[in-house]
Amino acid sequence: MASISVPMPGVQPAPRPKLAEYLRWSVDHKIIGVQYMATAFFFFIIGGALAMLVRWELLTPALDASGTGSAYNSLFTMHATIMIFMWIIPMFAGFGNYIVPLQLGAKDMAFPWLNAFAFWLLPPAGVLFLLGYFVGPAETGWTAYPPLSVLFSGDGQTLWAISIHIAGVSSILGAINFIVTIKNMRPEGMGWFQMPLFAWAVLATAIIQILATPFLAGGLTLLILDRVAGTAFFDPSRGGDVLVWQNVFWFYSHPAVYLMVVPGMGILSEVLSIHSRKPVFGYKMVALSSIALALIGFTVWAHHMFTSLTPQLRVPFMITSFIIAVPTGIKIFSWIATLWGGKIRFTAAMLFSIGFLSQFVIGGITGMMLGAIPVDIHLHDTYFVVSHFHFVLFGGSVFAIYAGIYHWWPKITGRMMNEFWGRVHFAITYVAFFFTFFPMHLAGMQGMPRRVAEYAPEFQTLNVIISISAFVLGISTFIILANMIWAIYRGKVAGPNPWRALTLEWQTSSPPPAYNFKGTPIPFDDPYGYGTEAANAYLAAMEELMTPAAQLKSGRSAGPASASPEPVAGD
Amino acid sequence: MQHNTPYRDMWYNETVDEDREAAIRLKNRRSGMAVFQASWILVFVCLCVVNLQLRSSSPAWPPEGVERLDAALPTLATLSLLASAVLVRRGMRALVRDSLGGFLLQWRTAIGLGVLFVVVMAFEWMSVAPVPEMRVVLANGEEMITGITQYNAIFRVMTAFHAVHALVIGLYLVRVLRTAAHGGLTGDTWSAEAGAKLWYFVVIAWLLIYVVLYWL
Repeated sequence: MASISVPMPGVQPAPRPKLAEYLRWSVDHKIIGVQYMATAFFFFIIGGALAMLVRWELLTPALDASGTGSAYNSLFTMHATIMIFMWIIPMFAGFGNYIVPLQLGAKDMAFPWLNAFAFWLLPPAGVLFLLGYFVGPAETGWTAYPPLSVLFSGDGQTLWAISIHIAGVSSILGAINFIVTIKNMRPEGMGWFQMPLFAWAVLATAIIQILATPFLAGGLTLLILDRVAGTAFFDPSRGGDVLVWQNVFWFYSHPAVYLMVVPGMGILSEVLSIHSRKPVFGYKMVALSSIALALIGFTVWAHHMFTSLTPQLRVPFMITSFIIAVPTGIKIFSWIATLWGGKIRFTAAMLFSIGFLSQFVIGGITGMMLGAIPVDIHLHDTYFVVSHFHFVLFGGSVFAIYAGIYHWWPKITGRMMNEFWGRVHFAITYVAFFFTFFPMHLAGMQGMPRRVAEYAPEFQTLNVIISISAFVLGISTFIILANMIWAIYRGKVAGPNPWRALTLEWQTSSPPPAYNFKGTPIPFDDPYGYGTEAANAYLAAMEELMTPAAQLKSGRSAGPASASPEPVAGD
Repeated sequence: MQHNTPYRDMWYNETVDEDREAAIRLKNRRSGMAVFQASWILVFVCLCVVNLQLRSSSPAWPPEGVERLDAALPTLATLSLLASAVLVRRGMRALVRDSLGGFLLQWRTAIGLGVLFVVVMAFEWMSVAPVPEMRVVLANGEEMITGITQYNAIFRVMTAFHAVHALVIGLYLVRVLRTAAHGGLTGDTWSAEAGAKLWYFVVIAWLLIYVVLYWL
């Protein structure tokens, strides 16, 4: 196993922005990226604590810890909504914000002000949402199916809808920014197919966001009106139609499932290639499969409604649900081929990426099982479904987020994270994750329904295993949190390019200066062309440029006034 | 590709090309506007889809006892809105040609026509009061409340949602107009272009709603 590369001797840490800059309005995409991540992590902890309470309740078959069924309902509703709208989506927005302009060699996003505005919509949305918990919380799960969400849930449901509305607007504004940035601000020499795969993934995500989120906005508007203005669009007792909500909601939410995992797939393509020193296998197919996922994702929504749909309509949606496995399969096989024969470095980032590969395949295959009509009708609303989407959203998205943190934290802070504790974190998370969510398949297949606090006593053994693993999983989160904080103060100096990567975000100091690059960086024409002589020459020239001596010579750390205009690059 | 010179220029000989920066800024704004239009119009599409689905799940549309909406006045309003879009476009063209007088005249007329549209639709909105629910006794003796309110309720939501957009964007047009009248738009054609494009958005959104509400 090759060791992690060590920064060149004498490299000084680049200056970091002060803490106060993260707490106020800033239009710097790097500050905004960190603001997104910090906000998301805050909500991750809250959402995780709620999950612990849910598992605490489910330790015994009886309704005990949460007191009432309604209290339990609001626990898992808060958990799901926070994790989806306040953790995974903003966290990926944070990565996108920090990394994409750097990968494009750009000074900032296309609309810096809009970028800041989009972020600052989120904290009020989150606060509003949390306040809802104290005024008669939402109890409908994150799907907010009427009539429950219209007729019975408390005022918290209204606040729930308003806060999701705000978060949705934030996400649309962010997506507009990403699309324009990626379309217009690529540097000279970077065509579409020289673009890093993470940028491709963010582009696909942004396409999903601009096309799907408006439907959520429309649906939520009607839901809010039903709750506060006396209309009855979703109330069958007054001529409304609950299926209207289901259609509109899933037309947003199924694509939203992809917007929660496609950026993670982008992170995976980066990490697997960089940490195994191999070009991404089938680069074009990986890039285009992200777009394919984004588009096919719009044709499958009704597979969430097999039990409420007329039978003839089920079949086409079953077929599209199978078709969408193809682009995912392309990615999986490409990643495996990327690893094949590579010089694999088992860094924490790499471990989490391999973890993603294994767990996401399980989540994907159970997804196919649920996409088959007869299986779905048997497993509908059981713990099998809970297991499936946690394999996708935790084993997929969250593992990818962890991989991304281990991979890019040195760029963001200028300091390396501790690899030993990274591996410990991986080992505990991987095992605890598996034993938390895999047994749910079994409980579900035997008929344990989801979203109920009481269950048949024969499921208790499985549930105790699940709960204990879940507690371990919850605690394991604090290992990475501690590691991240530790790295800021005590981590080894990372230098500009600790992983010897070719993409542009590594061709500047860590953290990058204001406006990212001192000069105009030229991208290497194959972002993953590892192992070629040209790539080695490019990396060597870049390292030469980044050594303390070169920095001093060019006056880049001495300030502009005394700069000597000698050429610095090795030409 | 010069692999051995990863940086084209260093910061100390990098000059900021103002024209190039301005060109990129304009390109970004145009792309951003297009993406916004493509995205946000889908909220109106969503409302139209909801309308169609409510209609398909209702036994009759409009339900028995409810009058079909009269298309005469709204058609007039639609024509006025279309005319305003044409004028907004011509005004923007005039501004590009440096003809401030032409711009002001066309935009004032356009905004007047827009106001006419909003007033007519507000009148329509108020005249369609939510019809009280109707109780129907079914053959088996059960009582059922028919979906009689849906027809009018979805009409009111769609038109009001549209009117909010027309008002906000209309106010933006007024602001651009006032700035221009004070000579504040010299060299800036983007404000007028943005206003025009947003107003097209209002028109397209209305045409969707108009067809679904009055002609389907």
